[in-house]
Amino acid sequence: MVAVKLIPHILSWAGIVLVLLRGFPGRRSVVTLTSISGFVIGVTGTFILFRSYPGTIPFGIVKSALGVSFLFLWGISVAVIYRSTGRGVSIFRGERLVNTSLCAGVVACLASMVAGAVCACRLPATDSTALTFILLALAAGALAYTLAYAALAFDKLLSPSYTVTLTGMLVAVVALLLCSSSSVLRLDLFSPLSMKVMKGVHDFVHQFMESILIPDHLFVRSYVWNYIGLLFGKEVGFWGGMVIWFTPAFLIALAIRFERLPSVAHIRQGAQRRTLLAAAIAKRRYRLVIPVLSVAVFAAAAYQSRFPSVEYWDPKPLPVTASPAGEIFIPKKGEIDLEDGKLHKYLFKQGGREARFFVLMTPEGRLTVDLDACAICKPDGYGQAEGSVICYYCKTLIPLDTVGKPGGCNPVPVAFTEKSDGVVIDGMALINSWGSTVQATARVKEGGK
Amino acid sequence: MVSAIIETSGLTRNYGDICALKPIDLIVPEGEWLSVMGHSGSGKSTLMNLVGGLDRPSNGSLRVGGEDLLALSEDGLARFRREFVGIIFQQHHLVPYLTAVENVMLAQYFHSVPDEAEARSALERVGLGHRLKNRPGELSGGEQQRVCIARAIINSPKLLLGDEPTGNLDHKSTVMVMELLKELRAEERFTVIMVTHNQEVAAWGDRTIYLDDGVLVREERMKS
Amino acid sequence: MKRLFRALFAAGSSRAVPPVVIGFFFLLYIGIAFFTDETLITLMTFTRKSLILAVLLALIPLNSVFRLVRETIRFLRMRSALSGKTKEGVEEMFDEVVEIAVSATAPALESRLAAVGYKTRRSGNVIAAWQGISSFPVRLFFLAGTFCLFTGILITTTSRSSLRKMVVEGDPFPTQNGSGGTVERITLANSTGPILSRTLTMEVAPTDSGSRKRIFGLYPPSRHDGAFIYPRYLGLALYLRFTAPDMPAGYEAPSFLNIYPPGKEENVVIPGSPYRVVFNIPEPESGSERYISYMSGDITFRFKLLKGKDVLFTGSVPGGGEFVRDGFRLVLPDVRRLVVTDFIKDNGVLFIWWSALFFGAAGVLWLPIRGLFPRREMLFRFDQGVTTACSFADGGARKHAGVFHEMLDMIDAKRVETPVI
Repeated sequence: MVAVKLIPHILSWAGIVLVLLRGFPGRRSVVTLTSISGFVIGVTGTFILFRSYPGTIPFGIVKSALGVSFLFLWGISVAVIYRSTGRGVSIFRGERLVNTSLCAGVVACLASMVAGAVCACRLPATDSTALTFILLALAAGALAYTLAYAALAFDKLLSPSYTVTLTGMLVAVVALLLCSSSSVLRLDLFSPLSMKVMKGVHDFVHQFMESILIPDHLFVRSYVWNYIGLLFGKEVGFWGGMVIWFTPAFLIALAIRFERLPSVAHIRQGAQRRTLLAAAIAKRRYRLVIPVLSVAVFAAAAYQSRFPSVEYWDPKPLPVTASPAGEIFIPKKGEIDLEDGKLHKYLFKQGGREARFFVLMTPEGRLTVDLDACAICKPDGYGQAEGSVICYYCKTLIPLDTVGKPGGCNPVPVAFTEKSDGVVIDGMALINSWGSTVQATARVKEGGK
Repeated sequence: MVSAIIETSGLTRNYGDICALKPIDLIVPEGEWLSVMGHSGSGKSTLMNLVGGLDRPSNGSLRVGGEDLLALSEDGLARFRREFVGIIFQQHHLVPYLTAVENVMLAQYFHSVPDEAEARSALERVGLGHRLKNRPGELSGGEQQRVCIARAIINSPKLLLGDEPTGNLDHKSTVMVMELLKELRAEERFTVIMVTHNQEVAAWGDRTIYLDDGVLVREERMKS
Repeated sequence: MKRLFRALFAAGSSRAVPPVVIGFFFLLYIGIAFFTDETLITLMTFTRKSLILAVLLALIPLNSVFRLVRETIRFLRMRSALSGKTKEGVEEMFDEVVEIAVSATAPALESRLAAVGYKTRRSGNVIAAWQGISSFPVRLFFLAGTFCLFTGILITTTSRSSLRKMVVEGDPFPTQNGSGGTVERITLANSTGPILSRTLTMEVAPTDSGSRKRIFGLYPPSRHDGAFIYPRYLGLALYLRFTAPDMPAGYEAPSFLNIYPPGKEENVVIPGSPYRVVFNIPEPESGSERYISYMSGDITFRFKLLKGKDVLFTGSVPGGGEFVRDGFRLVLPDVRRLVVTDFIKDNGVLFIWWSALFFGAAGVLWLPIRGLFPRREMLFRFDQGVTTACSFADGGARKHAGVFHEMLDMIDAKRVETPVI
């Protein structure tokens, strides 16, 4: 089962090696060797990291590496579009440096390390013995060796006219890394990006309207306000995220498309001029292939993030009632075991008002009671998967360790008393907390300021 | 010494049991205007198709412009035709819904990339500067053939093939077209192979070869 | 010194400055986002407090000015080159430069260029040819827009001050020195405009100190004493008298209620007692104007009287009327309209408004110029048997290049006729 799960990640890495081989055509052996080494280091290093710091830290490190690579791609894409569209813009003159063995080796090693780390995030938790580690290193090495040489053989089969620019290579490598990582819930970047965009757009529009002194919604026509309100919805987060997600690949493709054709004015025969221009155009088209394919890979990553193949644990909320003193008691043992580490949802109704909440035992062994809603999003609730709960509205993952702490998209904590046989919650406080949370998030959704 | 642009040795073309071209040895020096005469079915067009890379021989060797045409792949042959050969047919084969300049640009497109200014200039060279935007149906036979010449020379071929290019023209238009070809050849220095029935047309060349039933029977050098 | 100035000018006017600065702020934003949800506010606060960040942000408007100067110089030099006045450094301004060892026949070249739609000018040994409209005005508007936008953002971020005050009908208009004229009338009315559904005017009477009558509206907001008057919310000022069986002396005081839209609740806590009155304006009947009570001044409050957490009773009381029950008495002798207003001192707003105008103008001009009339230029200079040909195209470069090549072929054809020795 683990092997099946690893297949897409390993294939992504093989794709990365192939692209690197194309990108550094004169450095095949360096790229092959450093890629293999990088992959093995990535797998074993992350394996050690998981054993040394179980929990969220290793995921955070790998996710940060992916985030940095995406930001780097953004920077490069802006630089190249500036260079290709502007006259006399020379941002970077280090092409010679980039084409050295050192640079090829560093790029291949770093990319493969991250790819290896992503693979390691899929490995099951086992006891860390020296033997396990050695076996893992050997298996990773053998696998990497086989695939790298398969990539090398495939590269030799391809026509030399399929050239890849350095930027094209970079966009393909990052796209494959993100595609590989987007299937691991805790490494996914697209959903948190969408969430941040939603919040960012909300803040920006709010600040902008305040800055230029736009009258409040009571003075503005409702249809105009509804258009403004669109900027506050979940869709803006998604589409804004899509724009940020795809823009580097598009910019790099555009930069290649906008590259100036060589000057042929010194040639005095029309057919010769046109032959040179046609060759330059054809070459440009070939160089566009990889960035355009990368757009498809980015799309696949976004799709995996949007529709993850993970099944969430999302039990139907059980109705509960309060005692005459207004207290809700939920027993620890019974039909439901509150301490089994799973999310247990409840529904409390009183006087026409209701509140949805859940009880969960965190991996640290701490019981927590929280609303099935956060302080930011529409109360679509949470599901549980792979060491985290996920906000269904914005797809943000909340590590189980942090459930019970307030802030951001975390479930809103509810005060409770833990007894030896169960937990006790104040019904009125629960209802009020739900009411104020839902009212606040509904206001955000409707675009109020 | 002028080098040969075409060299054939034992060049043969069979269509099933029919032998359209019996082994022919032919050398055409660069820049020569060679007229090919013979009756219908004598193998004139077959020879022209072979040296133009439009057909493959059944046997023998064929080198054109230093390229061994038998060794070329289909793609290589297509590139050879595109970059090396210009052809003028008896039927003009112009696209009826495109203007004269667009017809010439079409040839540029298949060669590399279109360039309107250059296409316009080529039509001006063949005396059609005032008919750039006319469609073939609006041009006389002689004008249509001049568009074909502009189209044939636009990609600066080393070898210009003519298959009865004046077959449908009256005497006056024929002379005009031949004079034009002569002028262009002097400027561009391409080699001409002209297949014709017409002795008068053949006389514009430097040398005439006569084919009969696929066999080169006679050769005649024109007096300059 | 001159070299230093040139280097600074070259760096300051580089096209790389805006993306680098914006990229830096973007990275900072991402960094802040790890620690707080109020990312933008925090970034703005940082920029307000940090001189380095403010200077960094100021690089963008500065760069716009430098670029404006640089591009204007280039435009003027290009004009001068095309008219044959400038000869030095001309080649650098073009995309392509070719030298041919032959002198062209100028009239033939001119007539050919004219035939293919280029305007030509011959001055001395230079022939200039051009087509289309220069994108320089568009760049001018764009750079002016960028300058205004980022200057506005810089000023707003670093120096905006905001003071929230109540503008109450019949009270003096709140000013910093307290010498505002009386607010004669506050009028809320329906509007037929496409954007605003209602208009709001605050009429302020002239003062003895000589200031004239002022009327403050919604948008664009007017200024008073250097501050923008930015109406935010509607409310009511009321004078409230309350007596209860256990507090016969009663309580009376003015209150300001930020009570609109209808349904919104506002508290008045009776000091020194367990009582609290919660007011709201009932929603009008469906289909009628939601703010009709504010517009007409015919206001009836709905209220709840609470003692501690217990609701004693609910009821309604009209403006100017009273409510009596079980020894409780609630009187509202005076109810007046008020507008919760922000007094904002911020000159950046003006820059941001101007930037919108400049960007709009740039966009409106750019589309037709680039799409229909892109600028294409050629220059031929004849010097001692050598022709130097230069070409530049803003758009439609392939077609222009075709014509340029044709001209070069024409010039070169002369070499065959008259070989240059």
